[in-house]
Amino acid sequence: MLTLKSLHKQLLLGDWLVLLLAALLVCLSFLSLWQNAPAAKVQISVADKVYATYSLNQAREIHVRGPLGEAVIQIAKGKARFAKSPCSSQYCVHQGWLSKAGQVAICIPNQISLALVGEAKPYDTLNY
Amino acid sequence: MRYLALLLSVLLFGCVKAPLYHSQSYVFGTLVDISIYGETDERAATLANHVQQDLQNLHRRVHAWKPASADQLSELGQVNAAFAQGRSLTVAPDLAAMLVEAQQLSAQSDGLFNPALGHLIGTWGFQRDEFGPQAIATLAIQKWRDAKPSMADIVIEGERIRSNNSAVKLDLGGYAKGYALDRAVAYLRQQGVQHALINIGGNIIAMGQHGDHPWRVGIQHPRLPNAMASLDLPDGWAIGTSGDYQRYFMLDGQRYCHIIDPRTGYPAKHMQSVTVLVPPQAVGRAGAGVLSDVASKPLFIAGVTQSEHYAQVFAIQDYLLIDDTAAAYVSRSLAKKLHWLAKPAKLNTISQHAHP
Amino acid sequence: MLKHFQPSLEDHRIAKLAAFAIALHMLEAVVPSPLPGVKPGIANIVTLYVMYQYGFVTAAWVSLLRVLASSLLLGQFLSPGFALSLAGAGLSLASLYAGMHLPKRWFGPVSLSVLAAVAHIAGQLLVVRFWLIPHAGVAYLVPVFAVAALFFGTINGLITAQLLKSKVP
Repeated sequence: MLTLKSLHKQLLLGDWLVLLLAALLVCLSFLSLWQNAPAAKVQISVADKVYATYSLNQAREIHVRGPLGEAVIQIAKGKARFAKSPCSSQYCVHQGWLSKAGQVAICIPNQISLALVGEAKPYDTLNY
Repeated sequence: MRYLALLLSVLLFGCVKAPLYHSQSYVFGTLVDISIYGETDERAATLANHVQQDLQNLHRRVHAWKPASADQLSELGQVNAAFAQGRSLTVAPDLAAMLVEAQQLSAQSDGLFNPALGHLIGTWGFQRDEFGPQAIATLAIQKWRDAKPSMADIVIEGERIRSNNSAVKLDLGGYAKGYALDRAVAYLRQQGVQHALINIGGNIIAMGQHGDHPWRVGIQHPRLPNAMASLDLPDGWAIGTSGDYQRYFMLDGQRYCHIIDPRTGYPAKHMQSVTVLVPPQAVGRAGAGVLSDVASKPLFIAGVTQSEHYAQVFAIQDYLLIDDTAAAYVSRSLAKKLHWLAKPAKLNTISQHAHP
Repeated sequence: MLKHFQPSLEDHRIAKLAAFAIALHMLEAVVPSPLPGVKPGIANIVTLYVMYQYGFVTAAWVSLLRVLASSLLLGQFLSPGFALSLAGAGLSLASLYAGMHLPKRWFGPVSLSVLAAVAHIAGQLLVVRFWLIPHAGVAYLVPVFAVAALFFGTINGLITAQLLKSKVP
């Protein structure tokens, strides 16, 4: 039978090392993956109004009109992005996919912004 | 018992629903984000609305290239027209005060913060809402650089101003957002607001705190769509970032950003971003908001080696630099305050010497 | 060709051990788990034990036969469940192969069992992330599975060590 004493005898120095490393890995995975909770929703704002909030779990394309014209926002696989924008700089499109709570993509010329919201927001506002 | 439960649930509900008001609007040519804590929603909305209106007004007055109306230049536009013609003119007292302050800050930064560079900025195509890659106008750049437009060329006597150099064209793009922060804080304080967080196009200033903890701010990664770090912004502190990702265009695989080095006439190219954290300033000095906007520029242009010097000039202890190789440099003081969310692969700590 | 085929002692042994592993696998398949996807993986005890007693090749046969036969018996052949098992078994075998070369003086069955369990869950999560649920949120599950792998990997390793000492079958 496994007793505490035999357990102690069965574990070699390397085993302890492996266990320690594995435990460290587990801690790291908690720290890195649970700190920035994946966002659950994307909030789309146009000018000073919240236009809509969508779940990130359902793939869809949203067409939103800003002062410059129509932007296309794409939601897929827990992420969201500007797929198309009528602005000339295209910074918003270059931002790419957003997936974590607190991430934002702003199209200043067309006055449309995406903000990912989750359970716990890691900060109140973003310095950029 | 039932009443007790009811009372408890009301109390709990009151606690859970934090009295945080949040609004965003596109004024001042950028996104303005105002959070107010501890006021009723109606009052907070009225106050935020007032701040936005005021910002929009200020924006129209000091806009570097947009006329105020079809047949009327902006106030700053009129100043620039007079400078170009060598005339003097009378300006509003607050505008004169802004120019005096900008003049002092420019001198302190050895001219690296230089709001007199309007012609160069225009030549590079950054004085437009919408801009794209454009051919480099080598001759025009040389001409405006060699004309050495400087804030020191401007003579301000009360509200009467003129320029000794017709090449001076004011562009307050690196100053106005910071000034607007200080102005918004002054208004909100005067209205008795204790807790607010104001974000004007990425420059942020804090008043009080968010409930029982300080306001928390994320710092944008210069190349990724997420924050690289976060930190607590105490009462009265401001934070500002200059980045090559804010306004730029790409030409032949090279990045040209909106921050122009007055010594070369070309965009500064040794940094991806510079963030400064500014403590509350004494009355009579440039406000924390203004410094959060202005002080990052000389650090951005001068590069890593001279960053400590320019940080000291503005008495800034906390700063973070990301250079063009994505190596990060953080001052010892700021390193203690940062919570990394995406720690840079190369991270160096700048040891700060007590200055004489 | 078939008449030349003489099942060797080795073949018999593999068949017997695989049958035992399949039985354990089936047992686990019918016992409900408190957390979907989190299982003790007791069939891995067989794989590890076989590797110590008869070498890596035999262990690989036993493990892969177990995955194949169990999926046929459960009616999951070529289904997502099969892909999960195969990816898990494949990666855990790879880790055992690597782990085999660790100095025996320092690293016992518990080390190998933990390595194999972590590799097993890594293989399964990769299949989940890139095929079954291509959703960024899968990352959220990683820590939970990692804890389970550490826990059951240790227990299974201890059991294997005990078995190796007592030298049953």
